[in-house]
Amino acid sequence: MSTFWPLVVIGLFTGSIYGLGALGLVLTYKTTGVFNFAFGAVAMFCAFVYWQIHDTWHWTAWISIPLLLLVVAPLIGYLFELLFRPLSGLAAEVPIVVSLALLALLEVGAQLIWGGQERGFETIIPTSSFKFGSFYVGWDQLGTLIIAFMAGGFLWWLLRHTRFGMSTRAVVDNRDLAAIIGVSGDNVRRFAWMVSSTFAALLGILLTHSQELTTYNLVLVVLVSFAPAVMGRNESFPWAFGGALGLGVFTSVLHRWSTSGTVANIEAAVPWFLLFIFLIVLGGRLKEPGLSVRPMAVATGTLSTGDMEHMSARPRIQRAVALGVGAFAVAAVLPTVVPGPQVSVLTYGALWALMAVTLVVLTGWAGQISIAQVSFVGVGAFAVGHWAGAHGQNFVPAALAGMAIAVPLGLIVGIPSLRLRGLYLALATLAFALIMDYVVFNSVGISGGLTGILDHRPRIFGVSFASTTSMYELSLGVLGVVLAITFALRQGPIGRRLRILRDSPLAASTLGVNLTVTKLVTFAVCGVVAAMAGALYGSYLQSITPINFQFGLSVQLLLLVVFAGRSVLTGAVVAGVLAMIPALIVSLIGGGTIGANVGNWITLAVAVGVIGLGRNPEGTVSLSIQEAKRTLSVMRPRPRRYLGLGSPLAPERLEVSSGG
Amino acid sequence: MAAEDSAVLSARGISVRFGGLHALDEVDLEVAAGRVTGLIGPNGAGKTTLFNVLGGLLEPVAGSVHLGGADITTWPPHRRGRAGMARTFQRLELFTGMTVEENLTASWEAAHPGAIFGRGRPTRKQRVAEMMELLGLERIAGRTAGELPTGLGRMVELGRALCADPRVLLLDEPSSGLDVGETQHFARILRQLVAEAPHNGHDAGQPLAILLVEHDMALVMEVCHVITVLDFGRRIACGSPDQIQGDPAVRAAYLGETDVA
Repeated sequence: MSTFWPLVVIGLFTGSIYGLGALGLVLTYKTTGVFNFAFGAVAMFCAFVYWQIHDTWHWTAWISIPLLLLVVAPLIGYLFELLFRPLSGLAAEVPIVVSLALLALLEVGAQLIWGGQERGFETIIPTSSFKFGSFYVGWDQLGTLIIAFMAGGFLWWLLRHTRFGMSTRAVVDNRDLAAIIGVSGDNVRRFAWMVSSTFAALLGILLTHSQELTTYNLVLVVLVSFAPAVMGRNESFPWAFGGALGLGVFTSVLHRWSTSGTVANIEAAVPWFLLFIFLIVLGGRLKEPGLSVRPMAVATGTLSTGDMEHMSARPRIQRAVALGVGAFAVAAVLPTVVPGPQVSVLTYGALWALMAVTLVVLTGWAGQISIAQVSFVGVGAFAVGHWAGAHGQNFVPAALAGMAIAVPLGLIVGIPSLRLRGLYLALATLAFALIMDYVVFNSVGISGGLTGILDHRPRIFGVSFASTTSMYELSLGVLGVVLAITFALRQGPIGRRLRILRDSPLAASTLGVNLTVTKLVTFAVCGVVAAMAGALYGSYLQSITPINFQFGLSVQLLLLVVFAGRSVLTGAVVAGVLAMIPALIVSLIGGGTIGANVGNWITLAVAVGVIGLGRNPEGTVSLSIQEAKRTLSVMRPRPRRYLGLGSPLAPERLEVSSGG
Repeated sequence: MAAEDSAVLSARGISVRFGGLHALDEVDLEVAAGRVTGLIGPNGAGKTTLFNVLGGLLEPVAGSVHLGGADITTWPPHRRGRAGMARTFQRLELFTGMTVEENLTASWEAAHPGAIFGRGRPTRKQRVAEMMELLGLERIAGRTAGELPTGLGRMVELGRALCADPRVLLLDEPSSGLDVGETQHFARILRQLVAEAPHNGHDAGQPLAILLVEHDMALVMEVCHVITVLDFGRRIACGSPDQIQGDPAVRAAYLGETDVA
């Protein structure tokens, strides 16, 4: 008993921090319908701004804290509102992807400004402790708890007893009605973003005093607030805050048993286990405002009869095949003209393209968003690392084993998709990715811990792929085969089955499609192919650590695919090309300061791109193809016919309009 | 042949409650082959609820639904689809990112086992082509369904439902969003479907059965052979259009509604 109560108290302290985050998340979700995946990044960014002002420029806390909370944070919130405002009313995936892009943007931005190393923060609250009953409590812990409760109380007062609160509730209840009686939704939303952002900033500076922090782990700590936010069903502040306290106490009490490494890993994953289970259990009862909106189709142009009508599918397919074969041929002869290091970079691109294909099929075609695809890559990579043997002689069975393991894992990620779409599916896959990070990839027995393990270049049926060129040829060959198969599938019944799942699951089910089976099989197959990509990727890297497969990379893969065009295979290839640009630049100009940051700059560019094209979730590639087609059809002197209402159907339309 | 024997789809004693509200109270309904059966009633009468029970989106607290000989009360929607039930939606549920032809093709594939592995490809092509011809969709076969105006969208949805080779077709407010001309065109097609539609589906030779839920009284009176009227979750009348128009109970129910002419 003697150790139990101190753990409960400590749990309340950490729980109150998550609570602060959960309140901030629920606030913006309730008012704007946007779940802010970048919340943790805002907290981190603000913490580093504070470090800059307070610890580097040595401004006193009396100036720097108000400056941060009342100027910097609200400003960030204001910018967020500006970004998200035009996105309201679009498909649920759009704000998800845009906020993930903001997460990447702030994360990478912070790394570019402040570097990736750990920073020690000067404490705001004294760290000394006092005796409370039979145990010691730190002033900083107590201070955190008090501040969190005060913030919660402030929010309660704001919503219950102020004009803002009244307006907020009006807007949440019915935006249009609120507008009619003169409550501006824009003002409410802007204020909500600003308050939420201030909460994030508060959270950021409260966290800094407890640990040495990097940009990455600060974000990771704040992510835990997602779990209590969902426990409050994203709408109840008391439940979210209470859930956070409960979560804090629960994980803290678990500390009693966390003597060994494995248990500690599982403990870190507890919030994510809870979130995953919670999402499955709550299932359809989670409301999602975005879902009332139809999933977006390809951007609609003018209602003219374009090329599509006059050109049957066959020539289009033939042209695509010709282009694909041509591109493949060029890629295949590249090693003869390109020097070794760049060939290695090309391999990297090919393997990322292979991963991207799985996401195009899963997210672009079947409409199932996933932030866990790189976890499957990791499964394949570590399987090869463990079982392929020192000369890669057992590569094929090892890769097959990895792919076999991916099957049940794919089914597990698929389970939430049976009842969830959009945001909550994204959250469930995120939870899965973090569970994989903590429990599987961080476990020393599997991944060798932070030092990682060695992977081996494959030897397949006696043929060694140890050389750079042969590894490239193997990767390109596999990519080519997978692309060819996927392309063929898209034209056929399987491709159609996946796309009707995206466009209207309801109609698909009434026509006789078993959604459960279709979704689970899709997740499993995409997981298996990703694991296959991982088997190659691991043996290409030759030395792999958990960092190669962190959830952040799944986010990056998703952003790349969305940016490049998530519903066309060309998008996957472009994603691969984008992924290899940083490595290519490094290999050309060498490392150094520029080289070290090239990856960050590219991520930054992609993030900005994704934010910019939030209006068109089909991505740049699709967009440019469409634009090109439109330009072509304008240049061609064919008269444009307009499809009026019912034109080919009702010859009596003229009489009707003249009569009525 | 007795009337009950030809009922393809029948609901017996369906009751649905939302909390304390009796949305449906022991309602019977029969949808016969070769007939258009109308389901009407003032707003809030329970039409949509009954429709959702038939389609498998809602489970009744009492009563049973039979399709052919089978009790399908607890079947999920996709099993009903496989067994020969097809439907359209009040709010268009097209596969918006796909072409008109793909919409129809995907439907045929969804309803026919093994089609996803390529089985029955010639039949599929022929059926889709027939249906596009019947509904006048060839001209827009290559257009993206999401771009179409509502009138065409309704036609595509009808074609999609028919490509599943159903024995019974449920239409939920098909005329909403159509202008007068389009509605008349639609009515002609419905008549044609129950009269002569070639039926390659589950029991060859038997014509299609259609259930029509509709607000447009003119359309209902024009195309329906039999009409069932609901009010406050109960069946208050059932008969031919003439009988229904002369029925005092129906008049009373509708006169309470000022917005229905």
